[in-house]
Amino acid sequence: MKKTTATKPAKKPVRKPAAAATPPAPAKVRVATMWLSGCSGCHMSFLDLDERIVELVKLVDILYSPIVDVKEIPDVDVGIVEGCVNNNEQEHELKKLRSRCKVLIALGDCAVTGNIPGLRNQFTLKDCLLRAYEQTESTKISCIPNDPVVPVLNAKARPLQEFVKVDLSIPGCPPDADTIWYALTELLAGRMPQWTEKNLRYD
Amino acid sequence: MTATKKISFHIDGQLCEADDGRTILQVARANNIAIPTLCYMEGLTPWGGCRLCIVEIEGSPKIVPACTTPAVAGTKIITKSDRLHNLRKATLELLFSERNHICPMCQYNKGDCGLQHQGYVHGIDSIRYPYLFPALPVDVSAKYFGMDHNRCILCGRCVRACDEIEGAHTLDVASRGIRNRVIVDMNQTFAESSTCTQCGACVTSCPTGTLFDKAAAFRGPLASCQQVFTTCTECPIGCGLRVFTKENRIVNVWGDPNSPVNRGHLCVKGRYETWAEPRERILTPLVRKNGALQKATWVEALDTIRKAAKAAKKTEKALLVLPRLTNETAKTIIGLAGKIDRVGMHVATNEAALCAQPDYTADALTKLQDADAIIIIGAQPSRDQGVLAARIRTTVRKKGAKLLIFHARKTNLDQFADVRANVVSLESKLWKRVAATLAGVKRPAVVYGSNAMTPIGVTVLEQLIKILETNQGGQAPLLIGLTAGSNSLALAGAGLEAVEEVGPWLDAKPLKFLHIVAGDAPDGGLQVMEENGVPAALPQIDCVVVQAAYQSHLTDLAKVVLPAAIWCEKSGTITNFEGRQLKLTPVLPLHGEAREDAAILESVFA
Repeated sequence: MKKTTATKPAKKPVRKPAAAATPPAPAKVRVATMWLSGCSGCHMSFLDLDERIVELVKLVDILYSPIVDVKEIPDVDVGIVEGCVNNNEQEHELKKLRSRCKVLIALGDCAVTGNIPGLRNQFTLKDCLLRAYEQTESTKISCIPNDPVVPVLNAKARPLQEFVKVDLSIPGCPPDADTIWYALTELLAGRMPQWTEKNLRYD
Repeated sequence: MTATKKISFHIDGQLCEADDGRTILQVARANNIAIPTLCYMEGLTPWGGCRLCIVEIEGSPKIVPACTTPAVAGTKIITKSDRLHNLRKATLELLFSERNHICPMCQYNKGDCGLQHQGYVHGIDSIRYPYLFPALPVDVSAKYFGMDHNRCILCGRCVRACDEIEGAHTLDVASRGIRNRVIVDMNQTFAESSTCTQCGACVTSCPTGTLFDKAAAFRGPLASCQQVFTTCTECPIGCGLRVFTKENRIVNVWGDPNSPVNRGHLCVKGRYETWAEPRERILTPLVRKNGALQKATWVEALDTIRKAAKAAKKTEKALLVLPRLTNETAKTIIGLAGKIDRVGMHVATNEAALCAQPDYTADALTKLQDADAIIIIGAQPSRDQGVLAARIRTTVRKKGAKLLIFHARKTNLDQFADVRANVVSLESKLWKRVAATLAGVKRPAVVYGSNAMTPIGVTVLEQLIKILETNQGGQAPLLIGLTAGSNSLALAGAGLEAVEEVGPWLDAKPLKFLHIVAGDAPDGGLQVMEENGVPAALPQIDCVVVQAAYQSHLTDLAKVVLPAAIWCEKSGTITNFEGRQLKLTPVLPLHGEAREDAAILESVFA
């Protein structure tokens, strides 16, 4: 079984603290969003904030994201991750983000529970690959990818908290834009969101 | 019985008074104090398995489950504390991590799930334990429902419902520890099961998506559906139905928990067969043109009928109905009697004798549960009246009542019987055994059906009653008469002539016009009619009008077919075997161009 212990909380960011340096306009909160094994629905739900995004970008800089063309993860205040960890590359990326952010948010059911990508966990990895690359009805030339540059699938797709410390989980498939808005505004106000019967959804 | 002692104690600082022996949970619920539960279900034996209902007792270091712990006078119970909250939360997280609870793709989906609800209530956003992701099977071999072990929390509600309500005990729990699993019979599938009656009580009792109705799966939460309460018209028991609808479609049918008849339980007929079965509905009037039935308007169809009716004399016209009509429709038919020569109600063989002396037994189902011996003669409740069979099974299995069955056909009640024989094969040797079995019996109940009305059946019935009466000093046993027709007794009482052998009845006078009211009988009631040679007689009649909801061989023989309402579209009342007047409430508007039975009859014969 994979090591499931959480890594230590984020190390002190290497970046010089910007907040103290620029007194006139308060520094924007630096945000990175990451897309692991998920359907991008959580990012879509994030975009569903609609006009509230305009409000948000007054307070927030999105420095790294599937919708921002940056290759290397910068140091950020908040890391938001959609999707679960399915292969060694994603595990590596997630750990890198964890080491470069202060607050890590698991966004959506895949990141929190494994969810749909986790459905393959009931089968052996070999069976999954055979089904996908050899036995599928539409397959003409069957070959399980074995190029060394292709990331290697983990034995099981697992949620984020089994690899790194997660500071906030926002369940939902996907979480409502309202739920995302509530969580982000609470964090920006310096409070931890409180989950109750009213705003929790697993589906 | 001694008068129960009253005790008083505190729950969360609130003074509560209750009968001695009540559990903490029962008292808390009665006083509107919420305690979370998963494995507890009203009407089933408390199990104490899920540990969500744990409470603290002031002065005691132990925490106890509220559902199984009797309240003690003078104690102070705490139901809400940080310690309890954390323990409940940990329990829930362990349940979530143990199996594959993937809410977004659950057949139960949103809003109905007890586990999901408790997760929300306890503010669980993520699970602290590593997920086990076990590989678990899904059994969808049953006709109407499936069992997905991925969702199971082993609360045992299905096991108890199967055992205590249906009395079948098909389900049980096998293996230990992490391998613990609900199994069917001897670890078989539902399709292989010899004991499952498909009553669906397990599905109704399941708090998660483990047991699910196939026809209701992925159709949204029942919590968001409209609910209409009506009465089942499939047999004379008259069970209360709780019908869930959405956008003019039936999503699910459960038993009405407040019905004094079935108290929430149903059999496969009421629970599934009426709606989860693909049946070809007749939506418009059909008129035979050039040898084939073709769609027509009501005006056209009624014109054709009136023309044919005019061509026939009054003595050449007959109306044949099936015993599924409402009491109100019967009144309409009696009102039309002047226009038709003969009105007959087609009943099962030997049922006319039952109809001749309607024998309603008030509260029969409740009284039956107190019986210490049940004798079934000439009836097949496990096939025809499932809810009654469930009561018989639980009374025999749980209360040790004796069971004697005298019937030609084998049924799944036979395995519980002390004496099992065919009516005709009763010899003196067997009578001795019967007498020995019935010796000392104090509260016997005799359930008899139409097959007990044969000459030999009546002899046996009389003999049995004689034994029982001498046993208990001349006191008559509880007699429960069962008809095959849903409303035969009341319809006969209203004045409809019960006809067993339709062939001779049709041939009695030359006939030119025959109107058959099949209603929503699935095969148009043809099975019984075939036994009586009706289909063969039909082609000789000039005009056969069939008023039916579903396509069948009977409608194929008609000249005109009129679309009738089905159970969920009808209003009116029926009278059940206990003599209760039960109300039918339309659940859905009439589908297509269908009309209610009485309205059709009025427009045909007016």
